[in-house]
Amino acid sequence: MTNYAVGERIINLRDSVAKGEHRRVRVDYVPHVLDICNKLGLDWPRRASKLTAMMCETETPVILPGERLVFTRTIPAVPMYYSPEQWKQKFEGRSMHESGIISNICADWGMLLREGLARRKDVINARYIGEGGEKLKILSETVTEAVDAVLSLAGRYRKKAEEIGELEIAKTMAAVPYGPAHSFREAIQSLKFVHSALWMSGHYHVGLGRFDQYMWPYALADVESGALTWSGVADYVAEFFVSLNKDSDLYPGVQQGDNGQSLMIGGVDRDGKTSVNKLSYIVLDVTRAIRFIDPKINLRITPDTPRDLLFKAAELTKIGLGFPQYSNDSVVIPGLANMGYELEDARDYSVAACWEFLIPGRGMDVVNIGAVSFPYAADFALREAFKAESPKGETFSRIMEICRKNIERQVDKLVEAKKNILLPPAPLYSALMTDQLETRGDISEGGKYNNLGIHGSGSANAADALAAARKFVFDEASVKPARLLYALDSNFAQDDELLLMLRENAPKTGNNEDAADNILRELFDYFAEACEKYKPVNERWQRARPGSGSAMYYVWLARGRKGMLEPVVGATADGRRKGDFFSSSLAPSQGVKVTGPFSILQSFSKIDYARVCNGGPITLELSDTVFRSEDSIGKVADLVALFGRLGCQQMQLNTLSVEELTDAKRHPEKHRNLVVRVWGWSGYFCELSEEYQDHIIKRHMLAV
Amino acid sequence: MKKDAEELTGLVFDIKEFALFDGPGLRCTVFLKGCPLRCSWCHNPEGIKPTPEYMKSASGKRLAGRYYSVSELAGKLFSYEGILKDAGGVSFSGGEPLFQADFLIETMRRLKGRLHILLQTSGCAEAQDFAAVTDLADTVYFDLKVMNPALHRRFTGVDNAGILDNLKRLDRSGPVYRLRVPMIPGVTDTIENYDDIRSFIKNNLNTGGYLDGLDLLPYNPAAGGKYEAVGRKFEPEFDEQAKTRVNPDFFLSVVKEAKSL
Repeated sequence: MTNYAVGERIINLRDSVAKGEHRRVRVDYVPHVLDICNKLGLDWPRRASKLTAMMCETETPVILPGERLVFTRTIPAVPMYYSPEQWKQKFEGRSMHESGIISNICADWGMLLREGLARRKDVINARYIGEGGEKLKILSETVTEAVDAVLSLAGRYRKKAEEIGELEIAKTMAAVPYGPAHSFREAIQSLKFVHSALWMSGHYHVGLGRFDQYMWPYALADVESGALTWSGVADYVAEFFVSLNKDSDLYPGVQQGDNGQSLMIGGVDRDGKTSVNKLSYIVLDVTRAIRFIDPKINLRITPDTPRDLLFKAAELTKIGLGFPQYSNDSVVIPGLANMGYELEDARDYSVAACWEFLIPGRGMDVVNIGAVSFPYAADFALREAFKAESPKGETFSRIMEICRKNIERQVDKLVEAKKNILLPPAPLYSALMTDQLETRGDISEGGKYNNLGIHGSGSANAADALAAARKFVFDEASVKPARLLYALDSNFAQDDELLLMLRENAPKTGNNEDAADNILRELFDYFAEACEKYKPVNERWQRARPGSGSAMYYVWLARGRKGMLEPVVGATADGRRKGDFFSSSLAPSQGVKVTGPFSILQSFSKIDYARVCNGGPITLELSDTVFRSEDSIGKVADLVALFGRLGCQQMQLNTLSVEELTDAKRHPEKHRNLVVRVWGWSGYFCELSEEYQDHIIKRHMLAV
Repeated sequence: MKKDAEELTGLVFDIKEFALFDGPGLRCTVFLKGCPLRCSWCHNPEGIKPTPEYMKSASGKRLAGRYYSVSELAGKLFSYEGILKDAGGVSFSGGEPLFQADFLIETMRRLKGRLHILLQTSGCAEAQDFAAVTDLADTVYFDLKVMNPALHRRFTGVDNAGILDNLKRLDRSGPVYRLRVPMIPGVTDTIENYDDIRSFIKNNLNTGGYLDGLDLLPYNPAAGGKYEAVGRKFEPEFDEQAKTRVNPDFFLSVVKEAKSL
C-alpha cells in the first residue's frame, strides 16, 4: 500500500501555521460596513452582498514564503451590516437560528470547479432579463456584487503574484475562480479561495463536502497527462489542509476547534457505484502527516470499501485526532430516501459540522434546531405515574405511553418555536448551490431540501433509567415508587443502597441486552413518530428530522443553559446524580462498564435508523494499546467493517491514554498539541475548560 | 464419578470482546479461572485460584469468577456468532484452560464447526485431556518458557517433562500451532535457554507439519498491576528492569530451520 508522505515545503508551511506566523499580516482594522450600509440605506440582501464586497476590497493580497495555494486573511473581524438593535428588529416575530447568519451547509464545489464563478453571474442575469420581477432583480444585483468582489480580489492576488515573480501563482489566479478549473492546482486554488470568501461573508461551519469526488477528475487528468505525479497531488492536498487551519482562532464555535470544516471521502456515487479512488487514500495519508484538527475527516463505508482503506483510516485514528468519523451508506441512504430525499441526492450525502447528514449544494436544512431530552421524558413519565398516593394500578407500558406523549410534546414545542426561522439573504452562498440561481431564489428562501433536524439526547441514560424502574419497581417489586422518587428528589443523599442497585444491578444499554435495548429502540420510535407527523412542517420547511446526536446537550440538558427551550432534569433513575453529564450521542451511560465494543455496536444497531436519520454517532473509546501492532490496527479496520455489517449508522472512534490526558491537565504547557474529540468535532485538550477535560478523562478510563 | 455434560459448570473470570492479541480476526477470549502453574511473572493473578475472589481497587470491588454451565457459555459465545464466524473466532485462555478440562472439552464440542477455536495453553495437563482438547481446537498457542527442568520448577512451580510430552503430541497430531515465548529478563531470554529451545525444536518438533511459527512476547512491565487487587504482593525473582536479550533473528532462524527440516 502506497503511503503518501509530505515534503519539506509542506512541513515548513505546517510549522509556520502552527506557530501562527501568518497572523503577523493581520491588521487591526474593521471595515465600516454598518456605516456604509446605513448611509446608503441598503435593504437586507444588498447589505449581505455589500459585506462580501467590502471584506474583499479591504483585503491586501499576501503571498507567504513557500506557498503555492494563496489566500491569507488579513482582516480578522467580520463586522455586522446591521446594528444589534436593527438585527433584533429584523427578526421581530421570527425565530433566529444561532447567530442568525446561514451556517452549517455545504456548497456545490464541483459546480464551482466545472463552471467557474463568473458563470453564476451570467446565469442569474440571463434569468432576470428573461423574467423580471423585483426579487430576481435584487438577486441578480447582489450575486453580481458578491461574485465581482471575490473575482476582483482574485485579480489583485494575480497582480501581486506577478509583482513578486510568482508566475505560476499569477497564472492560476488568472484562471480561477473566475473560470472553470483546468488542472488540479487550479481546482484546489479555486476551492480554497471561494471557501475563504464564504467565511469572510460571515458564514461559518462552511462544509467541504465530498472532496475525493469533485477533485477526482482534475487529479486523474493531471496524472494521466504527466502534469502531476500522485505525490504532487498529495502535496497540494496537504497544502490546502494546512491552510484550513490558519484562521481557526477567528471562527465562531461553542469552543475552539468547532469549525465545521467537515470533509467527506468514500461511499457510492450518485449512481450507486462505489466511488473510492486514489484521492480517498491520499486524504487519509495527508491528514495523518500534518496532524491538524482541520479539516474534519469523514469516511463513508459500503460493503465494498477496500480493507486497505479501512486500515489507513485506522492508522489515522491511531494518532488521536478523533477522526475519521464513519458513516454507513447501507443505512444512511435508505434513511434519507425515506425522509424524502431523491435517491441520487441521498447517495451524494456529506455531513454538516458534526454528523448531521446533508446534501452538498442542495441541502438548506437547519440540522440542529434543538434537542429532545429523553432523560426528561423518562423522568417525567416515572413521576407522572408514581405521583398518586398508591400507584398500584400502574403498569410499565403506561409509563412508556406517558414517555411517548412527552417526547411528542417536546418535538411539537421545538418545531413550533423554530418553524418560522428566518434566514438572512446570502448571495454568495446562493451562487454556489446547485440549480439555485437557475430555478430558485436566494438560498435564504430555501434550497432543494429544507428540513429541520432535531437531536435526540441522553438516550442511553433514559433507556437505562426506564429499564431500572421496570426491573426494581415492576418485575421484582423490590423498590417502592415513593422510595425511588424520594431518592431522585434528594439526589440519592440518603439512599446509597438504591444508588448502587440502579448503577450495578440494572440492565444497561451497551451490553446487548434486550431489557435495556428494546426501550432504547422504543424511545427513538416515539421520537420518529412525533417527527413524522410533520409532512410538511409548513410551506417553508419540509420535514422534522430526528437524530441520535447530542452535541452540547449532553451537558446542557443536565445543567441548563440560558435561553434554552429544552427541559433540564435532576438526578435520574439510572443512578445518575443531578448535574452529571449524560452520555454523548450514542454511548453507554457515563460510568457504566459494559462488556465490550461488540456489545455496544449490537445494542445501538437495534435503533430503526430508517426513521432516525439526522445523524449522531456511536462513540467508542479505544485504549492506545489497541494500536500496538499492525495486526491489531487491522482489527480496528475489521471493527469498522463490523459496524457496517451490523447495520449501525455512524461511528466515532477515539484513542488516547488516560495517563497522557491526566498529565496534560496538570502540565498543559507540555501538551499544547494534544487533540481530543469532543463531540462532533476535535479540539485541543488544553483549551477546554476543566469540566470537559474531566469528562473526557472519565470517558477514557472506561476505554476498551 | 464424571458429571453429566449438562451439569458441568466452569469458572470464568472474564470474557473479553475484541481481544486483540489472542488470534486472527475479530475474537472473544474466555478466561478460565484456575492454574497449576505459579509463574513468577504471571500478569493475571486473578486467574490462578480456582474459586471466585474479590478484586479490590480505588474504583470499588468486583467479583472475579463466575460459574457458567456449558450451555450457558456456549450460548453466550453463539450470541457473537455473526460477528466472529467470518475471519475470527473464540479463544480460550486463563489461568490454564485445561485446569477445567471436562468443562472445556464439552464447551468446545458445542462450538466445534460453527466457530473457530483457539486454545492458549501452558501444556500443563493430563496427556489424555490435552489430546482431547487439542483435537477439538482449530489452532493452539503453546507457551514455551524455560527448558531447563530445574529452572522451570523454580520459576513456574511445576515440572516440565509432561508439558514437553504434550508439546510433542501436539506436534505430531496437530492442529496448527504457534510457540509463544514470554521474554522474561534473565529467565527465558538467556543464551542457554535460546540454545535449549533451538535444540528442542530441532530434535523433537516439526514432525507433522503443524508448527506454524514462534512468537516472542515482550515482557509486560504492567505484570504486577493486579496483585494488590487480589491481596497479594508481586515479588518476581528476576530483575524486571533488566534489558531483554531479544534476538529475533535467532528465533527466526530457529523456526526456519525447524520448518525446513
